[in-house]
Amino acid sequence: MAIGDLAFLIPLLPALAFVLTFFLGKKLPNGGAIIPIAAITISFVISLLITMNLLQNPEEVINQSYSWFAILNIGVLVDPLAAVMLTMVSLVSLLIHIYSVGYMSHDRSQSRYFAETALFTASMLGLALSDNILQLFICWELVGVCSYLLIGFWYEKPSASSAAKKAFLTTRVGDVMFLAGIVILFSDLFRIFNGTIPDGVYILRFDEIFTHIPEIAAMNANILGMEVSHITIITLLFFGGAIGKSGQFPLHVWLPDAMEGPTTVSALIHAATMVTAGVYLVARTFPMFMAAPSSLLVVAYLGAFTAIFAATMGIVMNDLKRVLAYSTISQLGYMMLGLGVGAAIGAEAVGISIFHLINHAFFKALLFLCAGSVIHAVGTHDMRQLGGVAKVMPITAVTMIIAAFSLAGFGIPDTIFGFSGFFSKDPIIESAYLFGSSSGMWIPYLLSITAALLTSLYIFRLVFMTFFGKPRTDYGGHESPASMTVPLSILALLALVAGALTRTTFYEFVSETFVNDFVQMDIPALADIGGYHLASHAGHEPMLILWMPLIVAVAGLLVSYLIYGLKVVNMDSLVSRNNPVYKLLYNRYYQNAIYTDFLSVKVIYEGFAFAGHAIDRGFDWTVNWISDLMIESGEALRQFQTGVIQTYATAVIAGVGLLIVLIKVVMEVI
Amino acid sequence: MDLMLLAPELTLAVTGLAVLLIGLFLPVGAKKMLGYLASLGILVALALTVSSLGTEATMFNDTLSIDALSQFFKIVFLVVALLFAIASIKYTEGNSHTEEFFSLGVFATIGMMFVASANDIMVLFIAFELASLATYALAGFEKSNQKSLEAAMKYFMIGSLSAALLLFGISFIYGMTGTTSIPAIAAGAGNLVTNPIGLVAVVLLVAGFGFKIALVPFHMWAPDTYQGSPSVVSSLLAAGSKKMGIVAAFKVFIVALIALQAEWQMVFAILAVLTMTYGNVVALSQTSVKRMLAYSSLAQAGYITMAFVVLTPMALGGGILYALSHGFMKAGAFIATAAVVYMVLSENRDVEDPDHLDNFKGLGKRMPVTALSMTIFVFALAGIPLTAGYMSKFVLFSSTIQAGFVWLAVIAILNSALSLYYYARVVKYMYFIPTDAGKVSEPLPYTIALVIAVIGVLAIGFWSEPFVYWAMEAAKVLIPGGM
Repeated sequence: MAIGDLAFLIPLLPALAFVLTFFLGKKLPNGGAIIPIAAITISFVISLLITMNLLQNPEEVINQSYSWFAILNIGVLVDPLAAVMLTMVSLVSLLIHIYSVGYMSHDRSQSRYFAETALFTASMLGLALSDNILQLFICWELVGVCSYLLIGFWYEKPSASSAAKKAFLTTRVGDVMFLAGIVILFSDLFRIFNGTIPDGVYILRFDEIFTHIPEIAAMNANILGMEVSHITIITLLFFGGAIGKSGQFPLHVWLPDAMEGPTTVSALIHAATMVTAGVYLVARTFPMFMAAPSSLLVVAYLGAFTAIFAATMGIVMNDLKRVLAYSTISQLGYMMLGLGVGAAIGAEAVGISIFHLINHAFFKALLFLCAGSVIHAVGTHDMRQLGGVAKVMPITAVTMIIAAFSLAGFGIPDTIFGFSGFFSKDPIIESAYLFGSSSGMWIPYLLSITAALLTSLYIFRLVFMTFFGKPRTDYGGHESPASMTVPLSILALLALVAGALTRTTFYEFVSETFVNDFVQMDIPALADIGGYHLASHAGHEPMLILWMPLIVAVAGLLVSYLIYGLKVVNMDSLVSRNNPVYKLLYNRYYQNAIYTDFLSVKVIYEGFAFAGHAIDRGFDWTVNWISDLMIESGEALRQFQTGVIQTYATAVIAGVGLLIVLIKVVMEVI
Repeated sequence: MDLMLLAPELTLAVTGLAVLLIGLFLPVGAKKMLGYLASLGILVALALTVSSLGTEATMFNDTLSIDALSQFFKIVFLVVALLFAIASIKYTEGNSHTEEFFSLGVFATIGMMFVASANDIMVLFIAFELASLATYALAGFEKSNQKSLEAAMKYFMIGSLSAALLLFGISFIYGMTGTTSIPAIAAGAGNLVTNPIGLVAVVLLVAGFGFKIALVPFHMWAPDTYQGSPSVVSSLLAAGSKKMGIVAAFKVFIVALIALQAEWQMVFAILAVLTMTYGNVVALSQTSVKRMLAYSSLAQAGYITMAFVVLTPMALGGGILYALSHGFMKAGAFIATAAVVYMVLSENRDVEDPDHLDNFKGLGKRMPVTALSMTIFVFALAGIPLTAGYMSKFVLFSSTIQAGFVWLAVIAILNSALSLYYYARVVKYMYFIPTDAGKVSEPLPYTIALVIAVIGVLAIGFWSEPFVYWAMEAAKVLIPGGM
């Protein structure tokens, strides 16, 4: 039996673990953590074997489809894109689960925690190996539900339950767009088939969708006097979903608040199981974006903007986890940018973007777990109260610093020396340059390179403030147990070398996603439909451009070192707390005021909700009136049911008589 | 003729007689095994029926026929009988008349199965009466319980009246066509169409079958009987015997009397609307769960009757699928109620209304399996998605709209919405109204029956395609070419 036949087990085992842990967890030690750990280990092994098999025979994509009902199916698709995603998700999730055994050991609801994280992992794995957009959407929603449950894990804390609601509602905005996109896509495909779908054709399966891209692109809708291609509408709606899930501006507001859950949950959300779903969706449907005029540009611009927008806020946060949260948003912006520059480099964009996604997963999980380790030991996540932690927690400190270097993107161009993050972020920035030079749109490049400077700045600020210098409060603390430091070390190793070892293979591997025995997409042809001009790649960038990311990263390191390490300048005297820029950043561009106080409270709650309430009262009255009427007539009709058998017999005979007369009369009239 | 074709019925007959005979020699304490024996017999008959799916044959000079329709309904009856038998194991515990109970149940099932395969209107009538007589006795099984006796008495008297009307209708048909064979009636219906007697015969037959299906105004016995009979018997009546009325009506009207289509379509249109509306409205104010289920089953019968009005292959398929789904849902709901009644009575022998809604308070904590199953059944009855009830309603209502009967579909959908009120109320009592009473252990036989029914309800809801296809195949027997 080929290993590919076991692919369906990858999400199924963690799902099963969810059921078992949920019901039996309480009776087992550590909340039954062993069940999800075992299940995810097997999932990981299967994913890894499939990936290695696929590396050798890239043509042999695994696809198994079963009819679900009518023209829809459920199925498994493991192509290079899905394979790397599955491997990464299962690995990171596995490490986080192992780490959680130590981290959650003091919590009363351990079994609930492990059940929910198992389901979270299962949904994400299911999402990654869906072979049709509907199944992907179902898993997508499951991921949303799990994030809600886990962010609000400590639901007795008001801030946690409101953060959970915020996450759920914000991503919901995107989900609705995604669903709308699917609906339009479905109706378009249905129209293309003229409503008669041959047996064995499942119209929402990716190969069907991709094959009919030209026809969908040929359909136009008239929006505000503009002719817009259906493919543009669909892809932008899909991207809307991705914006919500992947925390892109303007739907990123839920991500920083999502820190209210346990830190391990943050690590899961930020690294493996949630925010990457949006990027994955765009990558998965990349051929559609390729054929959609302007969609890729929107992706590129919004990604670049999010990258810098979030990075600016990361600089001024004092909460360890919040810095990391903004960092995630910023890095997701890079991934989106990486996909967006597909407008210039074609399918390779998927390779570089997903490569960054994978590397980011490793170093971001590491950053979060290190932060968790610190928080677990010292009991606070305010960086102003920390300092000098490196002395008490050496392993955590070293691994965290490795992660920081990886995030900042340290490495030497054109060699194999560099942290993972370097090998994935660098190509994105370079491609943005290429995009600029081929299309004349330089804004994404400028934003992304500036963001790289800010990235380095905020992450080293965090490192210096937390791990070096003198302790600013008396926090005590100790190194974390082995169940926590071992995952840290594994992740650190990955953050250190994974990029260098796999980079070229990886791009080629993932870029083959759309040419194999499942689908054969002609990306340049699609680019023609979309009106993009693909540039020929490699080696055209000036020397300076190649070195630029490293230069800004070093600059960021130096500046942080001067300010937060050596303290040559006192930040407080340099920048007044009343400085308008500082205030703007510290208050996070007043998003809270805009989103919550204005949009949610004033417009939605007081505006719509009150208006709705008034209308609702009207409906209520009507509905109550109808229901009263019904119940009263029920009471009245009951009276016929006398319980006397003579009445019953009379009813039968009278019924027969009346029916005969009635029908006779009616028949005569007609 | 191949006797193997009758194997399921023969198995049941042997089972029924064996249960009766063995029971005579067993002490009361050992009679529990009779329940197992009966369940086993029914299971074997079910297996035999399933294994002979796809067979088409006629027997005894064309008076019986085996086809997709008869097989489908036989399976419905056997499934309901199986649920009934398993659940009754606990109910009859310690009763000295156990053997009568089970053999009557088995005989009733045989009657229903013969109705399903009858191809002659006289065979149909006799089988109909076999099932009826057995259920009359079952309804009055609690001989010391006045309510049970009253229920049986009312059921019997109205039943006799209806049987008379039915026979009266049959005699008209025989008189006008000179035959009792169903296909022959269809061929020689010329007289019936031209003579006003045709209409009289149709209405008399509607009254006869309407009694079993419980169509307004021939329904009045149903609430009293369902409430007064032992709950497990109610499950057999509502889920099994009602379907017998439906399959009989399918055969007699759609096959034999298709020439009088215009007349009976109108009769059924009126009765369907009346029945579903009346059932739902009256169910709103019931506090006895069994009575509520009785009215709900009126409403459900009203929905199924829509198939006669719409009369497209899809609508008939929907109606037939509904019959299967309703078998699971309604039998399940009554059995869940039976479990509650059993629990209440074992706590206090003298409770006046053991099936009162108040006894369902806090059931989610007290009897979690029963409560969860009941929730699934009532939601299925209300037509919540991912259950059998939803799928059946979907097929039936959408075919109604497709055929142009939008008004009928609108009435049915509004009715469906209305019904959620009383179904959800049960759930509210079970989960949101607390009670001081503690957890009780749930008797295993009830639980097994409930789990089977839940699986059925969810299987049809989740994996509906094969069931829909199967029901459509059965519908093709009624209108081979489609209409």
